[in-house]
Amino acid sequence: MAKFNVETVQNVEQSKKIPCRKPLLEQLEIMEAYTDTHRRFSGSSRERREVECLKVLYPRMFRPIEPQDLFAGRLDFLPIGFGCVTSVGGVGHYCVFRKLRQFQEQLPGGLKPRVDDLYRYWLDHDVKTQFNRDMIVDDTMGMFIDTAFPLIATARLSGMMLDYPKLLANGVPGMRKILSDHIAAAPDNDFYRAGLECLDILCDSADALRKDALGQMEGSDEVRKAQLQEMADALENIQHRVPCTFIEALQLFWLYALLAGVINYGRLDDLLGPYLVADLNAGRLTEQKAYDFLKSLWTMIENRRTTVNGRIIVGGKGRRHPKEADVFMHIALKVCHDCRYVEPQFTLRIDRDTTEQTWDEALDALGCGATYPTLYNDEVNVPAVSWGMRVDEKTAEWYVPFGCTEFVIQGQSTGTPNICINLLKLLTIFMNGGVDPMDGIRKDAGFGIKALEEYTDFDKFYADYKSFLDIYLDKSAQAQYYSYQVMNRNVSFLFNSLLTDDCIERGKALLDGGVRYLGGTCEIYGSINASDSLEALKELVFDRHKYTLREIHDAMLHNFEGSGILRRDCMACDKYGNDLDTADNMANDLYEFVAKGIRDRGIKVGMQYFLVVISNNQLNTEWGNATAASPDGRLSGMYMNPANNPQGGANVSGPTAMLNSLAKFDARYHAGSVQNIKFTPAMFNGNREMIKSLFRTYFDRGGCHLMVTVVDKGELEDAMVHPEKYPDLIVRVSGFSAVFVELPRNVQEELLSRVLYD
Amino acid sequence: MINLNVRVFNIERFAIHDGPGIRTVVFMQGCPLHCPWCSNPESQTFASILIHNEIKCTHCGSCISSCPVGAAIRTDGPSVRFDRGKCNLCGKCVEQCPGGAIRISPDEMKCSDVVSRILRDRDYYAHSGGGVTFSGGEALMQPDALLAMLKACRDEGVHTAVETSAMAPRTVIDSILPYTDLFLADIKHTDADKLHRVTGGDLDLIMGNISAIAACDPGKIRLRLPCIPGFNLERGHFQKAYAFAHSNCIKGIDLLPYHTLGLGKYNQIGEQYGYGQTTPLSRAELEPFASMPEAQGLDIKIL
Repeated sequence: MAKFNVETVQNVEQSKKIPCRKPLLEQLEIMEAYTDTHRRFSGSSRERREVECLKVLYPRMFRPIEPQDLFAGRLDFLPIGFGCVTSVGGVGHYCVFRKLRQFQEQLPGGLKPRVDDLYRYWLDHDVKTQFNRDMIVDDTMGMFIDTAFPLIATARLSGMMLDYPKLLANGVPGMRKILSDHIAAAPDNDFYRAGLECLDILCDSADALRKDALGQMEGSDEVRKAQLQEMADALENIQHRVPCTFIEALQLFWLYALLAGVINYGRLDDLLGPYLVADLNAGRLTEQKAYDFLKSLWTMIENRRTTVNGRIIVGGKGRRHPKEADVFMHIALKVCHDCRYVEPQFTLRIDRDTTEQTWDEALDALGCGATYPTLYNDEVNVPAVSWGMRVDEKTAEWYVPFGCTEFVIQGQSTGTPNICINLLKLLTIFMNGGVDPMDGIRKDAGFGIKALEEYTDFDKFYADYKSFLDIYLDKSAQAQYYSYQVMNRNVSFLFNSLLTDDCIERGKALLDGGVRYLGGTCEIYGSINASDSLEALKELVFDRHKYTLREIHDAMLHNFEGSGILRRDCMACDKYGNDLDTADNMANDLYEFVAKGIRDRGIKVGMQYFLVVISNNQLNTEWGNATAASPDGRLSGMYMNPANNPQGGANVSGPTAMLNSLAKFDARYHAGSVQNIKFTPAMFNGNREMIKSLFRTYFDRGGCHLMVTVVDKGELEDAMVHPEKYPDLIVRVSGFSAVFVELPRNVQEELLSRVLYD
Repeated sequence: MINLNVRVFNIERFAIHDGPGIRTVVFMQGCPLHCPWCSNPESQTFASILIHNEIKCTHCGSCISSCPVGAAIRTDGPSVRFDRGKCNLCGKCVEQCPGGAIRISPDEMKCSDVVSRILRDRDYYAHSGGGVTFSGGEALMQPDALLAMLKACRDEGVHTAVETSAMAPRTVIDSILPYTDLFLADIKHTDADKLHRVTGGDLDLIMGNISAIAACDPGKIRLRLPCIPGFNLERGHFQKAYAFAHSNCIKGIDLLPYHTLGLGKYNQIGEQYGYGQTTPLSRAELEPFASMPEAQGLDIKIL
């Protein structure tokens, strides 16, 4: 039995999920069948067990095709099942206990005990719970997302973006042949055998959907009939041959992604562009119909409601079919402009060759408030990824951001962020003798912390804080690596492995030694609050001798009550985001210390790379709510800085100064860092050439990324009072976009605090 | 020269309305005019001035208890007012104000520090065709510092502009002319009496200076016409201004619609906004003045 609360909320679920269509009893029966199968195959290899369990789920878990769908494939998820991420279903053989309890509450009394049986079984078999049982053992490391801890860890396989070019080039028959050839050479290899059966599952699913499409033709009008026929034909063809048309390519890619349980999709312009152009040239497709297909794809992705994922990447270096990819990209930019959905997270990679037309279309979409595309600078990121992940530049050209910004190499690496660390909370603990001022619990991890009076120079104080951080960095690397071991003991992620280099060549699942680059990422939070705090301490205590460390710390413990002038002095110290060497260098020094520390440790434990990401979802707010007052003048419980941006309101020197600060961090040490900037519509749309110049100069100066929100402050404030008037007002939280009125109030307040350039 | 001090009350980065491209605007203290609609009233005097921001004020009264000369006084309500006659600008209240609501303006800065600040955005200037603009107040009130900064910016290849009322001795104009790429020269009124009565300006001096610059290079000038209802919003004024432009071969003209963004500042320095009008002008209201027959051949922009 687990000693921690297995019903803790595991991830940010900002978007409301579409409820399961199946009757409750059927849902219960599926979960029981899944559980029985899992139990029955406990003595078999994990590959055999996994594929048998998948057969319970598919094609059964597919929802019917909906009237607006132009291609097929929608899934339901139950509290028990198989997956790789927490956003859809769960991780490996999973049970989401909280959701299982909610499910139980809906059942009639007589059925409830059957759920108790399931609950008990999964306490010992849920993959994530096994990880937690081994890792969540003291007051230093907590579960996702328990903000009482300075470090949180989980087991999941986020952000897989698969080698779909391989799938489309070979088709199902080609993939079968590859596996069969390997089986001939290694007849006992269960990975190959189970892999082959995964292709059966894919075909069974396609066939079930084909029948659904044909069945829906009766009673449909002529237009819909034609669409359903086209869909049915594609679903038939992809089972037996290499995809030849755009709809076949799209259909095969989509079905595979669903079955793999992935929620980020990769460079779709390069994947689908050639099929699109071929169809357009042959007259099989009009521009309008192509647009309709992409819009249908956008809707499918939106409807999965993963909150922080759904990445589609277009543009940039290394594409194999740039001309055709650009055709896809321009249509996609138009869809992005018109849809204004929260997902997909539409991502544009730019470089020096990006055309004026592309820039203008991107800025048009941003200017209308779409919050997409989010812009990544290949001139910086490609060499940075090459260095950071230790791969050659050609490989690095296939970097793709997933989730809130984390990079992976499409089809070649893992990059899941299974660790989050709160640098500011650790500073408040360090200053308080190892005890967290929020709850009075000791979280010093055995580090001997000195009394504040012993520090007579800043360097010593800072060095000791770094030594304290070292302990937590050690824990981070260990926990990340261990998450892979636990998952590997239980599952093979078969669908993912088949389309990840070099699993098939090696005959191994991806975490079993199959993946070419075993990478990972570590999310860091509160880094700017921490560096601004250090800057304030240096200035006020050690340079100007205006206060002692103890005086500032006492004021912090009292949340600055009665210390108004001290707090004002803290806030008046130089702050990151204003292009000041003092504060910016401090921020950069802390960043490099943590980023290099994480990277070195990752390599040491045996990963290809383990890199920090300065991303963010709304955790900067939630974790800030659980972090004590800090020397930068931030009050107890107040949100922390978002991503790599200054604390809300601290940047007072205009957008060039902020962008100059943002561009200072060396991108080689991170695997993604989110840079937010906000404008009013009047500023952004009324001064387009200036804005374009601003962005391009920032990118020339080494800016790696830019996330643009165009919104009126008055509109946001009004939306807090009259949410009913703003059902579709989209804002950028940090690593993801959300409908403003659906965000909790504390997150809304954090968003309002950010400087808006007008 | 670059070690000179300069009195600066604001430095605005990413300014996009005071000259071409992305610019940094340096607002310098002091002005020879006293336009009643001025949006930077704190800059009119050359001397330092205490600024009290009512919005940030928590009414705690620490300024009252800390003031050694009794210049901070509680009003009938909760707020505080300052007896500016008594205040000796000692700064004790600034130090004791927890809300950061009080400050003394302007900052006395080294010219070299101002230039370093300007240079931090040089990449943006280069990309957008921007640069630096010295404004005010009146930049020509501190001619030595201005000249030093203009030269330093020029040496660094930064495009230089001066926004000015042109109300200065000719020698000052002559000294900065070689180092200034663009003058944004205000003509507030073309009627000498009215100009003098309301703003204190000397029309002959102003027009003479502008003509002198134009004689050197008319492309170095954009005339700026602040459009103030109740003062100069008359066709006759625009006709004369345009005629002056034509006769001096000046092509560029900016029309600046009257705005009230500086209104709140009057309260902060303990003064009343003296201008009767409080409704801002829209750009559309200036269209008729931009399309007058006399405007033919001019490059007129409404900002």
